[in-house]
Amino acid sequence: MKNTLANWVWSVRNFFQGIKEKLHLNINLPTWVKALIYLSPALILLGVFTFYPIINAFRLVVYQGYQLVRDVDGVLRESITGYTLFGNFAQVLSADNFILPSSHTNSSILLNTLAIVFISVPISILLSLFVAATLNSIKPLKGFFQTIYFLPYITNTLAIGLVFAYMFKSGSTGIVNQFFMLFGVEPVSWIERGATYWRAMTVLIAFGVWDGMAFKIMVFMSGMQGIDQQYYQAAAIDATPKRRIFTKITVPMISPMIFYIVVTSVIGAFKTYSSVVAIFGDTATPDGANYNLKTIVFHIYDYIYSGEDLSLAAAASIILFAIILALTLVQMWVGKKRVHY
Amino acid sequence: MNKEQVKQIKRFENIIHLVDAIFLVIYVGLFIFLFSKITVPDLPPEVFTNFEYTIFGMDIDTFTLNTWMSYLAIFIIVTFPLTFINFKKTKFREFYEYSRYVSSNYFVNAIVSLLAFNPVSFVLKIIASRRILLQSEGYGFKEASKRIWAGFKNLFKKKVKVVEEEDSDLKKAIRRQTAFTFMRMFFSYLFLSIVALLIFVPFYWMILTALKTYYESNLTMTPRFFISLSEMQWMNFKYVLQEVDFSIYIKNTLYVGILSTVGTIITTVLAAFAFARLEFKGRETIFSVLLMTMMIPGELYILTNFLTVSQAGLGWVGGAEGTNSYFLAMIIPFMTSVFYIFFLRQTFKQIPETLYKAAKVDGSSDFKYLTRVMIPIAGPTIFTITILSVIGSWNAFIWPRLITSVGDVNEGRMYWLISVALRDADFTTAGTNPRVMFNMQIAASAIVTIPLIVVFLLLRKYIMSGVGRSGTKG
Repeated sequence: MKNTLANWVWSVRNFFQGIKEKLHLNINLPTWVKALIYLSPALILLGVFTFYPIINAFRLVVYQGYQLVRDVDGVLRESITGYTLFGNFAQVLSADNFILPSSHTNSSILLNTLAIVFISVPISILLSLFVAATLNSIKPLKGFFQTIYFLPYITNTLAIGLVFAYMFKSGSTGIVNQFFMLFGVEPVSWIERGATYWRAMTVLIAFGVWDGMAFKIMVFMSGMQGIDQQYYQAAAIDATPKRRIFTKITVPMISPMIFYIVVTSVIGAFKTYSSVVAIFGDTATPDGANYNLKTIVFHIYDYIYSGEDLSLAAAASIILFAIILALTLVQMWVGKKRVHY
Repeated sequence: MNKEQVKQIKRFENIIHLVDAIFLVIYVGLFIFLFSKITVPDLPPEVFTNFEYTIFGMDIDTFTLNTWMSYLAIFIIVTFPLTFINFKKTKFREFYEYSRYVSSNYFVNAIVSLLAFNPVSFVLKIIASRRILLQSEGYGFKEASKRIWAGFKNLFKKKVKVVEEEDSDLKKAIRRQTAFTFMRMFFSYLFLSIVALLIFVPFYWMILTALKTYYESNLTMTPRFFISLSEMQWMNFKYVLQEVDFSIYIKNTLYVGILSTVGTIITTVLAAFAFARLEFKGRETIFSVLLMTMMIPGELYILTNFLTVSQAGLGWVGGAEGTNSYFLAMIIPFMTSVFYIFFLRQTFKQIPETLYKAAKVDGSSDFKYLTRVMIPIAGPTIFTITILSVIGSWNAFIWPRLITSVGDVNEGRMYWLISVALRDADFTTAGTNPRVMFNMQIAASAIVTIPLIVVFLLLRKYIMSGVGRSGTKG
């Protein structure tokens, strides 16, 4: 059976070889043609699903009221009401609750995002730094702890988000309230009816810290393992206290990693979306609350899902892109100039 | 130990692993068999019903069935990693590494096997332990136990103190330093343990809640932190797979994940080869343009990609029932990745150029060189990419949700992936006042999470090396 199959493959191969020889196709193709053949699958897909969307986003943003409307004969056609250069950006930025809270909703998209950026990112970075430094100083059980700390990274955001929502359930049912009841604190509502803004935000930040620590610890660990032991030996001879070793050797030596982590986590915080959906649902609002926890990306998806004015979605995503571009440029610039040892 | 003995021992060890594996298969088979026997109540289980089952001619109730399944689950959890680790150890153990430690390892293993209801492995492991001890140290269990007892007694014997008057200051300083180091170690481990506990609590709570009853997960005011084996409701998982259609969603996810991964591997390997080995004009330019797209947020693409796959473009989604091809829309856009091309190119570049030249001299074509030389050498990297890509598909949420939400929603929900289903599937009780059944919802979360954890624990090395270079999740 196997033999006949091999024979068959061989004869097919010979057949093609014969054609090739008959047609004198054995000449070497120029390298660029070969390269094109090798690159074409990836380039075609990237062209359709990466490069074209970028160009198209900048095309959509100059239209006003871009919409797809079904014709009489059933064909979808683009329908616009006019052209504008910055009108869509202005409309996104001046939308209700984008920058400042309004009278009916007591929160704003930008402030939500900034709260996540300025609270969750520093907490998780500092905590990861301490964990990495401590983990680096021990020998037994190191691998075990490393494995545990890495677990959040490979989990599904939705799955763990639902678990977090369940853990923060109101009343004494939730495990978090149970924990606080040990210290005599009355159970409160975190994400359900009656939750205050900062309580809801705390849940979101707790999830962000829990979810984000794995990657940071790993990067810091690999950075610390790359530090030359000479520095520590020199410090040991001088009997330098541990705290000074940490602030004067470890942190400066891994400053490129810290900076990289700062930038990527700020970008990640701007992109918070799935966790909000997992914990608070599509409204991003606890029952009956007069605020929401929408982030910039959440806002973009709101525009896309509504489908009414896709130009605004394009404008909002370009604003996000600009923010991320600026952060990346700062990272590159500072990385060249400031971070050194 | 001489080579011949090592050979024999290794053969014997492999027999043990085979027996372990057979028992593992039996446990899993039994578990699945019992799982298939579970009766799912017609109505969402507001009230706990105790069913009667007849299994192997025995009449048992739900509690007994739960206990059996819990025991089997524990056996699987214990046996699977043990077999895996032991197999790996046997494979890589050199002849000089056989010592009394290996022997004692097998002894402990044997006891664990006995506790896991596996008498065959127990006997075999005891024999292996004795043989290794005899052949490496030259004495048997009797002598070994004598030595252990002697060592044990030594541990509690009062040590004779040698009092030296001089250098007492130095001694004191050393003692103080030791105490200080000890304290620091203690606090280090305390801190690490607390953080590990915080990381682990959600997992524990997830698994525990997934096994609780509706009453206990939703209504009780005093949640328990441990439940007995007979109270573990394995029925929850069956309910989620059967009634909430998670078996369909898992099938969808695997289908999408495998196909898009195969596509990704093919396109990225070809492209990375071209970027790493072929010299052509504009290579660096094209490559840097590709790299630049890596910092553009996905939200910028999604809008247009959505238009592309919808009726305005390729018409894959959003049409009337039966005309949609959701899978194409989920797979095709994710069949390539700039990051993986970059990652693979780095690996390909490390392969010496001379190999390429040699292959050229031998008259082998580029494609032959790629498949016969480069892919085998870059195997671990390609494997890492495969795992990361499958995990990425397993966790995909935004795009699948967007494209299944347009057009015929009832058709769209048959194409949900698991993350979408976690958010949007109906976990509520029936009746006029529907309430979310948290035990079922969390059971679904557990079904999604546990395979990932198992894969991670098995392939930790590959995943961590890949993630170390990426920097973005999913």
